[in-house]
Amino acid sequence: MVNEIQVDWTDLPIKDIDIGTFLYIAYLLIAAYIAVRVLSWVLMKLSERAGVYRISVTMAIPLLKITIYTITLYLFVTALIEPSLSQLVAFAGLFGAALGFGLKDIFADVIGGLVIIFERPYQIGDKITAQNHYGEVIDIGLRSTRIRTPDDSIVTIPNYIVFGESVESANAGKTEMMVVIDLYIDSESDAELAMNILKDAVVTSKFAYITEKLPYTILLDDFPFYKRVRARVYVNELRYEFEFMSEVTRRSWMAYSRAGIRPPQVQRVLPEKAGRDERTDGSLNRSNSGNLSS
Amino acid sequence: MPDGPQESAGSIAASLFQNELETITAAIESYGKKTHENIAIIADPFAGQQLVIEEIKRRYPDTISYLPFFSVVTGKDFIPNLYTAKDVVVMERCHFLALRKIGGFVMLDEFLDFISSSEKLFITTWNSYSWSYLNAVKRIEGFFPEIIRLPKIDDMTLKQLILSRYENNEIECIDDREVEKNSGFEVIKRQVTLPFTSAPITIPWITFNVGATKGEEVKAEDAVFRRINTLADGNYGVAQRIWDRYLEYPTMKMSNLPDRPCALDLSINEEFLLNIILSMESIQLVDLVEIASPEINIDQNLHRLIKQDLVEEEKGYYRIKPEALNCVCNYLKRIRMVW
Repeated sequence: MVNEIQVDWTDLPIKDIDIGTFLYIAYLLIAAYIAVRVLSWVLMKLSERAGVYRISVTMAIPLLKITIYTITLYLFVTALIEPSLSQLVAFAGLFGAALGFGLKDIFADVIGGLVIIFERPYQIGDKITAQNHYGEVIDIGLRSTRIRTPDDSIVTIPNYIVFGESVESANAGKTEMMVVIDLYIDSESDAELAMNILKDAVVTSKFAYITEKLPYTILLDDFPFYKRVRARVYVNELRYEFEFMSEVTRRSWMAYSRAGIRPPQVQRVLPEKAGRDERTDGSLNRSNSGNLSS
Repeated sequence: MPDGPQESAGSIAASLFQNELETITAAIESYGKKTHENIAIIADPFAGQQLVIEEIKRRYPDTISYLPFFSVVTGKDFIPNLYTAKDVVVMERCHFLALRKIGGFVMLDEFLDFISSSEKLFITTWNSYSWSYLNAVKRIEGFFPEIIRLPKIDDMTLKQLILSRYENNEIECIDDREVEKNSGFEVIKRQVTLPFTSAPITIPWITFNVGATKGEEVKAEDAVFRRINTLADGNYGVAQRIWDRYLEYPTMKMSNLPDRPCALDLSINEEFLLNIILSMESIQLVDLVEIASPEINIDQNLHRLIKQDLVEEEKGYYRIKPEALNCVCNYLKRIRMVW
């Protein structure tokens, strides 16, 4: 024998709905929206003053959002009906079927949001690459994640991508982040001197962060018509990533110029893609003919 | 540090740094009998490394050669002096050997090359922030197996040392705070600046009196020195400066002492300049220009730091104001400008 759950939907204990109920729901939604906005703003401001703990503070924002939204949903439902257990089970089944057919993408986004909040593949403040977009995570919502690209565009990425695509986090919740700086010099130039100058430029930079666990490395790679001098070093605050690269490059080339180190003379052999793209294309471990490190 | 007689400096050093002096003394006296290890004495600005060196000079006037640096070292002139120096060489303010710029480690490398092949015993003093930086960048601790970090001073020792400069009962300490003195906490008025507001506002702020227990009367004298030591973060030189500055002879009032709040909000260039000044302890404008120009407008940024009471200028040298030292250090650590 199979016991069937018999639900009489006509018996659903729907409360009396009047204008007061609508007002209550409206106030509820407005209050939840304001609470999310205000608390997120306060936490973001607090995080800016927290120095190296900035990202730890911002971690609380998505958690706070889901808590407020869950409470709001509960209050919303109980304002309209008072379901029994069997009705709740039946409703959940029906709701699941509806999601499966019509709202599956939104549902996947919401579940993705929960995964992001609890598993933390990235956090607010992290620098990530997702769906070919690179930038700083500025918001993790229930449905989507928003990132700010280096040229100040806001990109909205659906949360479901955490299930099927790889997301690269450059700093993994830390405020420091490794930066790769490449300088290309003429094959005839003094490569050792070039490495020493780049090393000095890196370690004396106002943006550098060097410890025993976070050392810097200077690498030399020899190509047919040029040499590449590469620095791998941590920036003390990931928001200064590009300023750091720019400052080191500028100071290094000023010193190179004084030392007679020249850029490659044949323009057509310059690599098409430098910097970040090369960091992820596997060329990092190619034959290094020399290195300096802390 | 006081410019008093050597005996006075020696007795203060003996009180503050007894263990450290014993280590140095043992190293000097065992020199030649067993393998020696070069010594690095590391301390925050004003923390008393000069007292230690004065005491070593007093104890071993004929055994040591004293080679101090007073500003950034730009030439190799000091190297010949190392060849002709006695077997024990005391070198003060070695952080002046390195400049944070491209090519700025040449003098330090020369010095490290020299001591690598020398049989002499080197006793050196370093600014703690320069040491951390140079150690991260150049691994200099490998050249100085014996590292001595000067400890922080406690409230009672500070009280004894400062009051020893006066006759008994010559100084009167007054705890004239308005709050209940022996409560576990006190409410003070504190100025804060909210985001997007220009003028600071005053809010009530609770501070906890650690160590003040109910029913126990904290003597005004003890309360004053506790507050001074908290402001100085256990740094003897800073505590002494605070005492000298806020003493209205023969009275020291608690209400005269500055509050602890420290809310800095600086630009990256100001932070970097502050870091350089902190690491070098005192530095001339020309050296700041050498390090940071043309990337940073030195005059403008220095002006802002001086206006914020963080930096002071004395005889052409810029340094962190002793009263602001604790605040500056904590801020720069928080943003990872010092490591």
